Amino acid sequence: MEELSIIGKSAGRVDTAAKATGEALYTADLSLPRMLVGKVLRSPFAHARIRAIDTSRAERLPGVKAVVTSADSTGEKWGVFRYTQDQAFLPPDKVRFIGEEVAAVAAIDEDTALEALTLIKVDYEELPALFTMEEAMRPGAVLIHDSNPGNINVHVKIDVGSVEKGFSVSYHVREDTFTAPEESYFQAEPYAVAASFDSTGNLEIWMPNAGPHLKAKPLSNCLRMPLNKVRVRKITIGGAFGGRSEISPADVICALLSRKAGLPVRIVYTREENTVATRLAHSMTATIKTGVDREGRVLARDITCHMDGGAYSSTGPIATSVPFLCMEQAYRMENVRYNGYRVFTNKPIRGMFRTHGRAFACGVDLQLDMIGLELGIDPVTMRLRNARQAGDYTPTRSLVPSCAMTETIERAASAARWKEKWGKLPPFHGIGIGCNSVQTGFPMGIRGGSSAFIKFNEDGGATVISGVVDNGQGNENMLVQIAAEELGILPEDIQLINADTEVTPSDPGSYSMCETFVGGNAVRLAAIDAKKKIFKFAARALEANPDDLTARGRKIFVKGEPERSIPFARAIRMALAKGEPVSGEGSYWPKVDSRREWVENPSGQLSETFSFGTTIAEVKIDPETGLVDVLETWASQDVGFALNPKVIEGQFEGGLTMGGQGGMLTEYHLWDGGRLLNPDQAEYRLPLAPDMPKINSIIVESHDPAGPYGAKEAGMSIAMSAAQAYVSAVCNAIGVPIKEYPLTPDKIIAAIEKKSKKA
Amino acid sequence: MVKAEKKKINLRVNGEVHTLLVAPHLTLLEVLREELHLTGAKESCGRGACGTCTVLLDGEPVRSCLLLAAEAEGRQVTTIEGLGRQGALHPIQEAFVAHHAVQCGFCTPGMVLTAKALLDKTPDPTDEEIRLALSGNICRCTGYAKIVEAVKAASDKGK
Repeated sequence: MEELSIIGKSAGRVDTAAKATGEALYTADLSLPRMLVGKVLRSPFAHARIRAIDTSRAERLPGVKAVVTSADSTGEKWGVFRYTQDQAFLPPDKVRFIGEEVAAVAAIDEDTALEALTLIKVDYEELPALFTMEEAMRPGAVLIHDSNPGNINVHVKIDVGSVEKGFSVSYHVREDTFTAPEESYFQAEPYAVAASFDSTGNLEIWMPNAGPHLKAKPLSNCLRMPLNKVRVRKITIGGAFGGRSEISPADVICALLSRKAGLPVRIVYTREENTVATRLAHSMTATIKTGVDREGRVLARDITCHMDGGAYSSTGPIATSVPFLCMEQAYRMENVRYNGYRVFTNKPIRGMFRTHGRAFACGVDLQLDMIGLELGIDPVTMRLRNARQAGDYTPTRSLVPSCAMTETIERAASAARWKEKWGKLPPFHGIGIGCNSVQTGFPMGIRGGSSAFIKFNEDGGATVISGVVDNGQGNENMLVQIAAEELGILPEDIQLINADTEVTPSDPGSYSMCETFVGGNAVRLAAIDAKKKIFKFAARALEANPDDLTARGRKIFVKGEPERSIPFARAIRMALAKGEPVSGEGSYWPKVDSRREWVENPSGQLSETFSFGTTIAEVKIDPETGLVDVLETWASQDVGFALNPKVIEGQFEGGLTMGGQGGMLTEYHLWDGGRLLNPDQAEYRLPLAPDMPKINSIIVESHDPAGPYGAKEAGMSIAMSAAQAYVSAVCNAIGVPIKEYPLTPDKIIAAIEKKSKKA
Repeated sequence: MVKAEKKKINLRVNGEVHTLLVAPHLTLLEVLREELHLTGAKESCGRGACGTCTVLLDGEPVRSCLLLAAEAEGRQVTTIEGLGRQGALHPIQEAFVAHHAVQCGFCTPGMVLTAKALLDKTPDPTDEEIRLALSGNICRCTGYAKIVEAVKAASDKGK
C-alpha cells in the first residue's frame, strides 16, 4: 500500500463544528411556513378490539386541520420480510400494546392538537392480554396474531454437526440459564418526523434514520406512491444504536396528516413516546449447554433462547439470529444447535440493539469462566483455546477472511496485567474478560450494495454523492477522508451530499454495521474511477504514462518524481476545455451468499467479513451495599484498519459505556403489566460522567483483504464484550456466578449472602 | 379549553433584548426554540433529567425545560448561539471538535455551556471536578472520556 496522508490520521470530523455551535439542524429544529403540529392518540389498553372511532368532535375544534385514522391509510402492513408483514400503522381491527397508534391530529399549535386528541372517541372491547413469554406460550392462550399459533413469531433453528455426539465425548458438560429484562436505546434525540407534500404529490420527509433508502421504499409501499415521489431528506441525527432501522408509524402518520391537511406537519415524540413507541431491546432467557474437552476446548454447544418480541415482528428473524451468529463467529466449535424463539406479547415492539441480548452474550462468556474454574483453567486461556482464527469457516458456513481475535485477547490481557492479577486480587476485587464478534453487513438482496458518484469542480474541488447516513458515529467524515485520500486532494476540497433519497444512489444503511465496508468501498471505487479519468489528461501534460501517476496535496505527479507535477485544478480544466468533463462512479456489493435466509436457510456467507474483539474490566465491590466500583477497563478490537483512530476510540468508549457500565449495572425496564414504569432518563439510569472508569482503547489491525484500506466493523462491537467483561469481573470479585442481569446491588448482595450461607 | 392570556416579557438573550408576547405557561426552552428560533438548546427528556436543554442564566447552567420564560426576565440568558464570534468557534467549542468530544451532537450545546460555566468559575479544574460538573448532562454516544479531555484542553492549564 502506498503511504497514506489522510486515512489513518485522527483529524477532526467534518460534521462536528456545526454540532458544537448549534447550527446543525435535527428534525425537531425544522420549521416550514404554516407547518402544523402533529400529535398521536395512543391505545390505553394492552390488547383490545377497536369497535369504532369517532373523530367528529376533534375535527370541529377550531385550529384542527386534519385527523387521520386507519380509514385514511392504505391498510398496507409493515414487516421487514414478506412473511413478517403484520403491523398496520393505525390498525383497523385491534391494538396490541399500550401506546400503539390509533389516530392522529394536525393542528395549528400543540395545545390545540392535544385538546383534539381528548375529543376523539374510541370504542374499545378489551381482550385478555399477555405480558410474559410464559403466559403467551401457555396452551390455550389468546392469540395476539391469528396467524401465529402459540404466539411464536419466529423460530430460528440451526443444527450443525452432531451435538449429541459432541456432548458424549466431552470431558465436562454444564448447562445454565441466563435471563435479562428489556433495555432501551435512549438516543439523545427523541424521534421526530416532518413531512410536506407539494402540489404535484411529491413527498419531502425528514426523520432520524439508519438508512434513508430503507425508509423510502416501505413509505412508498405504505402510501402506495412511486418511489421517486418519496424524498427522504438528509438531516442531522441524534443517535440510533440499532433502534432506527425501520420505518416508523410516525413516518406514515405524518405523511397522511400532511396530505390531508395540504400543509407541512411535524410530529415530535416525547421521551416517553420515543421509549414506548419506537423500539425497546428484547428481554431474553437463554439456556446454554456447553461440552468441552480436558483443555477447555468447546466440543458441543446447545442453546435455546426465548426472546420477548412485543406486539409485532419488526426485525424479528434477524434479531432472533444475531445473538447466536455473534457467538458462532467469536468461538470455534464443530457441533452446535440453536433454537431461537421470538414470542409475541402485548408489550411494546422490540428491535435490534447494540449488545443483541445481554443474557445470551454474557451467558456464553460467563459459562466459559465457570467451566474454566471447574477445570482449573483461567478465563484468558479459555478464550485463547476457543478463539476464532482467520481462514476458518463458522458453523453456518461463513468464511472468516481476516481475524485477529487472538491478538485482541493477548494485547488486552497484557495491558491489564492479567497474569499478575488473576487469582491474586483481594476479596471483593475482581477481573473479568469477554470476547465479541460482529458482522460487517447482512445479505440484503437488491439493497445490499452501495453506489457513489464524484463530480469535479473547475477549481479542483469535488462533490461526493453517497447514500450513506451518519447517526453520529462519523460516517460522513469517513467518506470525506476516503475520497480525499484517493483523489489526492484535501478534505476541505470535498463537498459531501449524502443520505437524501432523491439525489443519492441506494445504500444498505448503517444498521448492519456495513457503512465503512460497503459505503466506504463504493466511494473509494468512485474516486479511483474519477482519478483514472483525470490522469489521462494529466499524463498528456506531463508527457507520462497515466499508470505512472499519483496524486497528493492537490497535485498530480509522476510517482517518485514529485517535481513533475500539475495542479489538480489544471487537469480538471484541461478536461473541460476538451469538452470531456470528468466524473467518477463506484459501486460495492459485498460478497455474501444471496441464498442465505434467516429462517429457511441459515447457511452460507452471512457477511463478507467480521470484526473481533476483547474487553477486560477490573472491579471492586462493596459487600455492604452491593455497589460496583469499576476501576479500569481495556477495550481491544480488530477493526481491520483504523481509518481515523480517534473516531474508533470514541466508538470503543461509547460502546463500553452503553454495554458495560449501563447495560450490566443499572439499565433495565420496570413494568406494571403492559405499562412501562420508567420510560425516561429520570428513572432509567444511564451512565453519567462521574460513573465512568478509565477506558484504555487498544486498536488491533488485521488488514481485511476487501475492506477499504483494510477496514471493517468498529462501532457496535465493544458494547457486547464490555457487557461480558463486566459480568465476568463482578462474578470473579464475589466468587459466585450471577445469571440474572443487570447486576444491580440487590442481586449482588443476595449472591454474596447465599454464598456465605453455603460456606 | 380556555387559553391563558398572553403576557409581555422582556428577555435578554445573548446580549440582545427581545420583547415578546407569550403564554405564561411557556418554558424558556419553548420560547427560545419556537419564538426566537434559537434551536441550539434541545429537548431530550423534558423533565430536567438529562441536561440537553441547558442554557446559562447569569452565567449559571440551568435547565430551560424546567424554567418558565417569565422567570428569566431581567436575567442574562446565554444560549449556544451566543458563544464564539461570527465564523469563529469559542475555545471550548474548538476543543470539543479537536478532541472528538462530539458524536451525534444532540447533547453537545448543553455540554459546552455547562463546561463554560465551570471554566468561568474554576479555570483549572481537576478531572473529578469536570466529571462532577458534567454529571447532570447525559451523553449516550461518547462515554464522556473525550468530553472530559476537551474540557481539560480548554482549561487554563490545557491552553
